[in-house]
Amino acid sequence: MNPGDKHLDPRRQDVPGDEHGGFPGRPSPASELPALPPSRLIDASAPSLRGYWHELFAFREVAYMLIRRDLIVRFRQTYFGLAWLLFKPLMLMAVMSFAFGYLAGFQERQSAPYPLMIFCGVIPWYFVSNAVPDGMVSLRVHIFVIQQTYFPRALIPIAAVFVDAIEFVVAWLLFVMGCIWFAYLPGWQVLAFPLFGLQLLVLCTALGLWLAVLNVRFRDIGNLIPFLITVGFFLTPVGYPYAAVPEQWQPLYALNPLVGVIEGFRWSLLRGLNGFPLGAVASSVAITIAVTLLAVRHLLATDRHLVDLA
Amino acid sequence: MTNTVMDVVDLSKRYALHHRQRPDSLKSWLSNLAWGATSTSRDAKGDEEFWALRDVSLQLHQGECLALIGKNGSGKSTLLKILSRIIPPTAGHIVVRGRVASLLEIGTGFHPDLTGRENIFLNGAMLGCPSRTIRQRLDSIVGFSGVERFLDTPVKRYSSGMYVRLAYAVAAHVDADILVIDEVLAVGDADFQRQCYGHLESQFGRGVSGIIVSHSVDVVRRLASHIAWMDGGRLRDHGGIGSGILEQYENSHSGERDSP
Repeated sequence: MNPGDKHLDPRRQDVPGDEHGGFPGRPSPASELPALPPSRLIDASAPSLRGYWHELFAFREVAYMLIRRDLIVRFRQTYFGLAWLLFKPLMLMAVMSFAFGYLAGFQERQSAPYPLMIFCGVIPWYFVSNAVPDGMVSLRVHIFVIQQTYFPRALIPIAAVFVDAIEFVVAWLLFVMGCIWFAYLPGWQVLAFPLFGLQLLVLCTALGLWLAVLNVRFRDIGNLIPFLITVGFFLTPVGYPYAAVPEQWQPLYALNPLVGVIEGFRWSLLRGLNGFPLGAVASSVAITIAVTLLAVRHLLATDRHLVDLA
Repeated sequence: MTNTVMDVVDLSKRYALHHRQRPDSLKSWLSNLAWGATSTSRDAKGDEEFWALRDVSLQLHQGECLALIGKNGSGKSTLLKILSRIIPPTAGHIVVRGRVASLLEIGTGFHPDLTGRENIFLNGAMLGCPSRTIRQRLDSIVGFSGVERFLDTPVKRYSSGMYVRLAYAVAAHVDADILVIDEVLAVGDADFQRQCYGHLESQFGRGVSGIIVSHSVDVVRRLASHIAWMDGGRLRDHGGIGSGILEQYENSHSGERDSP
């Protein structure tokens, strides 16, 4: 029979020694036996997207529990507790305002308060630089769980990225406090803010998922990604505005999907600062979709083999 | 006619043995992509195939307990892993009716940093049991496991016996239709083993089915209604507990031991 053959033939009545009913001491199975759920096929084929989605939903409690546990572990035994959530992005903002706004002199060219502009870059950057590596190592860290029970493996990286996403959402409180400090009110463009936030969540989840699966098999990934994140910081408009990049380099620069997201945040939160970055947003959305599709495809092909690949 | 809860058809599992110690690197993967080579061509490059399972066909009916016997490396654990969906088969398939709860090796998906209580819920979720149900049965699970005092201790501090007690207690309370148990109960003390065997017997009487691996002939005789003798990845023989396979197996065993 072919590995992918889903056809269930009425089979094998001829298995030797399998006759039933005559074992003394066994209660003979009667009609009051519990009803059984419909049958499930286990074979060599990869799961379908729809089937996988159903399983993700069926096992969602596993993700809740992993998330809960991560949150507890992260803040248990910390004296300042939740303050850490805000402290780290705040310090990054202060350092970058000093380095880029004051030392490098980008500050003068901006219509919005420079620290607010930096927040729009620092908060997403801080999220990405945590979520992607956290997602990447998650499957490898949980390999002992995977080796002993079945549930859709994607739940582990999704839960890992989700924990950072909670921090990401809370960190926007800093922006709100900054607005109060500078008596600054965003314009109507703020309505687009959730869309850019959603795009970033999708992008990070897809990247985390994909890298997690790759990292189980290829340890090279574990060396590559931290390096890319260090380099990527300078190729992302975190501390400086996109407009500072020379125009002829902008299309190439915008291949970094974070450019469109961060400029999108700035446009939506800073009263349409610098005009709508159409090119960067389009390229960023396209890359997000492509990465998501590739990640899902790779996940479906690999999910069941992870234990063999590890 | 009894209900078939598990139908294993021509199940095979192949592994490639890499004789040269070469880690699976991104480089080799990329070069494979570039030259259009697939994983099968690597086998041609001198890596040896190993069939952990070869064309195994079996049936399990509701309320039965099948014992897998055989030497180490005969494919028993591989079979259990495939039907617990931890690894996929290379060929063949299994049709399963009902929820499978597996106790494979020690740990069964426990998270070492979590407390016993947290692990009960996590493990329950992994076995497909909602936390609402687990909460209702928590006292019963804890009572069965006998680890009350250590419920809020991380399980990494548990002894292997406590570990397996808790793991079994959870699996016993998730309303599984098929219990898959790989030798783990041997770690528990005599009292706990007796408790588990009693529990298993009552479960089988209620229509729950089981697949167990045990090297103890006494345990097999006590629990199993059917026997499958695995040898070198193949099913050597199978049949009812009264069919003499167990005795044959015992004899082959002692025969080997006696020979120099």
